[in-house]
Amino acid sequence: MVRAGRYLLLVFILAVMVFPLLWMFRVSLLPAAGTLSFTDFISSGYTVATYYDIFTSGNMLRYFINSAVVGAAVTAGNILFCFMVGYAFSRYRFIGKNFWFFSIIFVLMIPAHIIIIPLYLLVHHLGLYDTYGALILPFLVNPIGIFLVKQYIDTLPTAVEEAARMDGAGELRILFRVVMPLCRPALAVLAIQVFLTNWNSFLFPFILTSSESVRTLPVGLALYQGHQAIDWPHLMAGSSLAVIPVLVIFLFFQRHIVSGITAGAIKQ
Amino acid sequence: MRARNFTGCLFTLPRIISFLLFWLFPLLYSLLLGFTDYRLMRPSFQWVGFDNFIALLSDRAFLISLKNTFIFVLGTIPVTTVTALFLALLIEKKFPGRTIFRSGYFMPSITAMVVIALVFANLYSRGGYIYLLAEMLGLAPPENGFLLDNRTALISIMAMDVWMSVGYYMLIFLAGLKSIPRELYEAAEVAGAGAWCKFRSITLPLLKPVALFIIVINTIKSFQVFVEVFVMTKGKYDTSTAVYFIYESGLNRFEFGYASAAAYILFLIIAIFSLVQFRLFRRRAIW
Repeated sequence: MVRAGRYLLLVFILAVMVFPLLWMFRVSLLPAAGTLSFTDFISSGYTVATYYDIFTSGNMLRYFINSAVVGAAVTAGNILFCFMVGYAFSRYRFIGKNFWFFSIIFVLMIPAHIIIIPLYLLVHHLGLYDTYGALILPFLVNPIGIFLVKQYIDTLPTAVEEAARMDGAGELRILFRVVMPLCRPALAVLAIQVFLTNWNSFLFPFILTSSESVRTLPVGLALYQGHQAIDWPHLMAGSSLAVIPVLVIFLFFQRHIVSGITAGAIKQ
Repeated sequence: MRARNFTGCLFTLPRIISFLLFWLFPLLYSLLLGFTDYRLMRPSFQWVGFDNFIALLSDRAFLISLKNTFIFVLGTIPVTTVTALFLALLIEKKFPGRTIFRSGYFMPSITAMVVIALVFANLYSRGGYIYLLAEMLGLAPPENGFLLDNRTALISIMAMDVWMSVGYYMLIFLAGLKSIPRELYEAAEVAGAGAWCKFRSITLPLLKPVALFIIVINTIKSFQVFVEVFVMTKGKYDTSTAVYFIYESGLNRFEFGYASAAAYILFLIIAIFSLVQFRLFRRRAIW
């Protein structure tokens, strides 16, 4: 009895959590603009014409490609740089190491809103405003990623590296040929986390670009509203475009996502 | 050793450059800007001392945005934290289908905020699902939908925020629950403790560090609420928040100095809040 009640509660909460996304897909499949009600949630007809529309006209496909390009570049950058820096923090001794490591914690404590205005001005001065560069360069390495890699490398034995060093391997060779393959699990967690964050991000892509040709999908969606009376099927089809890759990644890499979240949290 | 010292510095270089160029410089730059009257179309700017800060403290739009930010933070965090803990306890033990529930609850957390805001804009609008639900329950929702009304707009955004973030904090609570040694519960059972007693004297105290972590990061995040407001109401209907104000004055009216000063005031508020939270928890003032 208690057990049945518990399942009922679980299912009810699940429905509340999942319904808005189902609703999004449902509206994106509606034949014409208009609002649904309870009664015709199922029966209002289905069409993929809106998706066809999105792919063949308008800028939605452009936004999607921009998001993918920026996401891939930022993810690649983070894998390379977070790995290098994390390795250095774990294995080397060098001047100012503690200071630089402290700077990581420092950044985590500083709310990002404070750099909106100066970053906007800086990107202008550097001539990066409204380019891919503005969306990629400031985000190529992130403190949480460095932390994650450092923690992981700390757990690896140094014996393999020492052996390679004895054999006369250079530092770069050790870094990329010996250590990097061992770090694959940590780097997978890092890559997924970085890609998802970047794919979903709105604030910085929004303030650092202005033209439609470099706009990412979330920015394009947020500014789509303004054009005319809200065209919900198109807007929800575009939203689905933003959600589907995330769902696919979630389906395949759920374990990585969860461990990425809890790894950062439990250390504190 | 000398060579490795050099290599270490070299490998850290990307981080050093990125930190100096994209963090430390902007941070100091905006502090400096806060004391000037710099704005667009004005090639030279003047040092104005604390003028911006004084002006802000009597700027009605800024004060309203602060008020809304406080309502948002104080309203959502307790609800989010308690709900997340409740969900974590609900699915802590293994049972058939547990993964499905966990994934489902967590899914909103990895969906783009813009998308969620758009979907809820639809659900909250007149004739939308939540609107109809409220009507069915006899709640008399506002005529133009929840987001186009001064009384309901902010609280609707807050409700959405709770819905969206509970899954994420649930996962962190779950990890915290997992780290509690089983033996403690076994010992308590031997001593004849009931479920509530075990919860009060084992689970809650041992979850304190995790709860502190959750509350602190959620506070820092919530004080910066912006995207939802931008997408759903554009700061109208009494929903403007501090970061929305900073965005409007800095990047719409291009009053860079004024906006930077506002950003630093918000920074100060967040810093004070975080410190107070640390102290409260240290002293065991809460549970």
